[in-house]
Amino acid sequence: MQLVLQIVANGLLIGGLYALLAVGLTLIFGVLRVVNFAHAEFMMLGMYGAYWLWAIFGLDPYVSVFLITPVIFLLGVAVDRVIIQRSIGKPDVTVVFATLGLSILLQNAALTLWQADIRSVSTFASGSVFVVGGVRLSVAMSVSFAAAMLFALGLWFFLTRTMYGKAIQAVAQNRRAAALMGIDVKRVYLFTYSVAVAAAGAMGVLVAPIFTIFPRVGQTHIVTIFVIVVLGGLGSVPGAVVAALLVGIIRAGAGFLLGTAWGELSYFAVFLLVLVVRPQGFFGRRGAEVYGG
Amino acid sequence: MPIKSASLTSPSGQRIAFAVALVLLLCVPLVIRDIYWLDLGITVLIWASLATAWNISAGFAGGLSLGHAAFFGVGAYTSSLLFLRLGITPWIGVFVGALLAGALGALLGVITFRLKGPFFVLATLAFGIVVHIVNVNWRDLTRGAAGLLLPFRGGPQNMLFPNLWAYWYTGLGLLVLTVGISIAIERSRLGYYLVALREDEDAARSLGVRVVRSKVVAAALSAALAACAGAVYATFIQYIDPDSTTQFELSVQIALVAIVGGMGTTLGPVLGAAIVIPLGEILRARVGGGPALVVYGFLLMVIVLAAPNGAIAGVRLIGRRLRRLMDSGRKADA
Repeated sequence: MQLVLQIVANGLLIGGLYALLAVGLTLIFGVLRVVNFAHAEFMMLGMYGAYWLWAIFGLDPYVSVFLITPVIFLLGVAVDRVIIQRSIGKPDVTVVFATLGLSILLQNAALTLWQADIRSVSTFASGSVFVVGGVRLSVAMSVSFAAAMLFALGLWFFLTRTMYGKAIQAVAQNRRAAALMGIDVKRVYLFTYSVAVAAAGAMGVLVAPIFTIFPRVGQTHIVTIFVIVVLGGLGSVPGAVVAALLVGIIRAGAGFLLGTAWGELSYFAVFLLVLVVRPQGFFGRRGAEVYGG
Repeated sequence: MPIKSASLTSPSGQRIAFAVALVLLLCVPLVIRDIYWLDLGITVLIWASLATAWNISAGFAGGLSLGHAAFFGVGAYTSSLLFLRLGITPWIGVFVGALLAGALGALLGVITFRLKGPFFVLATLAFGIVVHIVNVNWRDLTRGAAGLLLPFRGGPQNMLFPNLWAYWYTGLGLLVLTVGISIAIERSRLGYYLVALREDEDAARSLGVRVVRSKVVAAALSAALAACAGAVYATFIQYIDPDSTTQFELSVQIALVAIVGGMGTTLGPVLGAAIVIPLGEILRARVGGGPALVVYGFLLMVIVLAAPNGAIAGVRLIGRRLRRLMDSGRKADA
């Protein structure tokens, strides 16, 4: 029983981290209709930001997160202006391969600048754990889990309770009608994209004390994030959170029972099955998978 | 009376152009003696075939696959394992691999034909990753990350040659096969069906185009040809492992080559390989692997954003300008 609880707790914590990435990715898809293949690269940049500020100035990631997140937000603004806005409304090949190209570029720019060395940040949070009811929880994981849940909750309130949030939802539902209602659609795109990638960057900073940092670290996570986002329904914020926690638990459980490789294989099989049988996912709007405009 | 000249766009002119190109390609090993350049040339031939195969499903039928490395790997592993375990020559193994990959491609086609845009892309991506995970972990069959080493046994009857020019001609044969099939599809009823589907599926369906059958046939042919390229690659390099055959990055590069050249056209992917592969090779040698891939990523972004029809569109534009120039010159003469 203790073991089951421990596995579920580990899975939930990992799932929480995934949620922070998945919420942004699903929001970008829902609003811009762009699959942001470069999403996890912003997490990687956040990790390197945390590493350098720690290595050079001795800044704790829990402090530097407030410096790095705005920088990545601005980077998101630039990327949206230069790349994303130009690809919207273009054929599929442009929409898919523009962000894929960006992902290759960012990964290898990191590789060129900082080499393939595996780096790590060690702070008070790195190895420390606390015990609740016999279950050991990593401090750093719990902090990032809490941040992820706060972000998801805040985003949900923002989208459903504020005027600007409702404007974003309107663009997600029908960009032409929204434009006719006087919503500045381009501003909505810019805001959505930048907030989403800033969240990915913040997650990178928060997990820096526990995860190893290398140029291709984003790639090891992005496919899992895609699985989550499709399972939750591309475009659905609550769906992404639930699916992230589920995938975290499945991954931890299957990994324990079947070994890492077969655990991974099992959720890819589920992913393919869901795509084929129910492409709108569990929470997605019906017809989202055929709506391209 | 003006003499009717065979222009490059007329069928007879095209046939002449292809014949000239083929003769030139056949002469390459006689002219290029340098091992480095010939080796690079063979790599270009294999990549040109691979991108042409990708283009059949992506360019003609509009299904942007990010899982084609899976078929390349199935081809490479099937022919290599048949040779290593059962002593069956790769000349036969290449067709067994093509059949197997074709069946897999058809299966993937059947389960994904309804998916659009990013959903299709993600499904093929997941498929490719499943094949890669199986490849890495099914150690009893594939030896996992250790890879397979093809011993130099037999010689020509086993598609293993002591000299590079023989590989050049094998690669050229592969390219002629894939481009030939690509042209045949483009000119057949299937080709028109596929283009109609890509442009407007509902309209095509209402006019009686068989959607599922056309898409599945294209997917199967595309997969089978990618597998042929894999088998030839395996005998050329004589060592295969999951990283060099089924990795996600490879699927991306296949798409990249075809897109840079110009997807949806027969010659675009071939041109793409002739540009991207030497460029990558030179950059890797001069500035290293990281910067080379930075250039790849940048190139991919610029092409899809600024010139989505690829390099072939530029070549055609220059061709048209030249022809107009020549025509006006001829008029001035007369």
